[in-house]
Amino acid sequence: MNWKPETEEIARRRQLALEQGGADAVAKQHGKGKLTVRERIDKLLDPGSFEELGPAAGAAIHDENGELIGFDPANFVLGFGRIDGRRIIVGGEDFTMRGGSPSPAGLRKSVYTEELAVQYKLPLVRLHEGSGGSVGGTSGKGASLPGPVNAPARFRSVAEAMATVPVATAALGAVAGLPAGRLVASHFSVMSKATAQILTAGPAVVARAMGEQKSKEELGGWKVHTKNGTVDNGAADEAACLAEIRRFLSFMPANVEQLAPVIECDDPVDRRDEALLDIVPRDRRKAFDMRRIIRSLFDQASFFEVGAGYGRSQITGLARLNGQPVGVWANDCKFLAGSMTADGAHKARRFMELCETFSLPIVSLVDEPGFMIGSQAEREATIRHGTAAVLTAAMTNVPWASIMIRRSFGVAQAAHYGPEGFVLAWPSAESGPLPVEGGVAVAFQREIAAAPDPEARRRELEEELAARQSPFPRAEALGVHDLIDPRQTRTELCRWVDRI
Amino acid sequence: MIAIELETAGSVWKVLSKPGDRVKAGDTLFILEVMKMEVPYEAPVDGEVVAVHIAEGQVVEEDQLAMEIAE
Repeated sequence: MNWKPETEEIARRRQLALEQGGADAVAKQHGKGKLTVRERIDKLLDPGSFEELGPAAGAAIHDENGELIGFDPANFVLGFGRIDGRRIIVGGEDFTMRGGSPSPAGLRKSVYTEELAVQYKLPLVRLHEGSGGSVGGTSGKGASLPGPVNAPARFRSVAEAMATVPVATAALGAVAGLPAGRLVASHFSVMSKATAQILTAGPAVVARAMGEQKSKEELGGWKVHTKNGTVDNGAADEAACLAEIRRFLSFMPANVEQLAPVIECDDPVDRRDEALLDIVPRDRRKAFDMRRIIRSLFDQASFFEVGAGYGRSQITGLARLNGQPVGVWANDCKFLAGSMTADGAHKARRFMELCETFSLPIVSLVDEPGFMIGSQAEREATIRHGTAAVLTAAMTNVPWASIMIRRSFGVAQAAHYGPEGFVLAWPSAESGPLPVEGGVAVAFQREIAAAPDPEARRRELEEELAARQSPFPRAEALGVHDLIDPRQTRTELCRWVDRI
Repeated sequence: MIAIELETAGSVWKVLSKPGDRVKAGDTLFILEVMKMEVPYEAPVDGEVVAVHIAEGQVVEEDQLAMEIAE
């Protein structure tokens, strides 16, 4: 007598588990233009690298003779895998079973995901599609035993994972309740424009509680959530989301104790971009393309923008300098003059915290006119959010390089310089308590009003004061480390990154 | 019909096209002044301007419909 019957049953259960919710449920998933969780995992990982954990978890179905006739796998798939050869942990709900709402074993596996990431100190990727618990409980029969009072805090492991390893998540279908909460408990999140919605509660619950009749897309489609910062990025479809996650992780260390991987770089450190000489217009009313400057300074095609859809006056992302990953933060003067808005400040703060957590040096390209002003800005508590960003910068420990591109004004500018940071100024740099156009009108109000030609006097004063905001006196006083030719910026930054 | 909506609040500084104008993708349609900076809005496609809903000097709001272009 050997163990052949049991061995065969194991194989048979494995086979049944791979069928997920069955051929019909899988076909329905495909019919909606969506992949199954196993297909998603395969697409995310290096080919053949998935090592599943807990494939035997689930519920076996027997006939009256005790013969195995079916097996419902836990509806959360979990395991190890590799991205660009580097090991990670990946998990996701199986929407073909119970609409992704956790089954008992599925819930155990999903909770285990974070614990595993903390234990192995490996980056964590969660691929979400599913809803939270139902009033019937995880058993679906309403009779499950409530957890004991001494159970570990439910979200402790989620928070610990965030403090230990990079966490990247994707919304690939409708994500509601608990999965929505876990989606945003991440350092990077992306949603599929074609297939995903993110809902704190779905249309039926909203209609019942609020009397509001809205579709899933209206409530929580990409147009809502890429603009409000619920997710960092929106991508065209599932494949594009998975590609963004791979890209994000390429800049990240495996955990907080390690440094981000430096790669070979064939972009010369002494590459000079002639266009930088006149990219900033002398006319201060004219905007310029900050993203063009970013593309020019960092390693070719290395810039990965995060959060382009919200807090748009601030640009944040990841890039490389001579192969070394760095965080990039810049102002976009084309949007609200690049001013520090409440949502821009929030985005900047999240960015700085990411860099601080994973020891990424920060490169800041400064064109900051100050906090956004006006009644809307006051309503949004801009000064509070903005000051929080300033204080976050002041407490960072990572190295900073700040390039003064154009404006650097007010309290808000302080957020763009880290402690003991390296500071270089372009000839177009101007700095002070506030931009002359606003400042002159207030400080010289009487003098302007009394002048024979008030408008001419105002312009005269503005020009006089603008001259004083020039970077030359600042450089003479060692107020910056150097005043540089903009074409020299890449070389200077690459030298800096080599020193730190 | 392509609707040109405003990305931010501001005031209209210059309106450079009127109903009936043929425009090419990339042509500047109008310029907003936002926080003392000029913000040009460009035609996203080749087409004809069929409606202009803003005037120079007007104070405008985010998401406001500014122009409509027929491809």
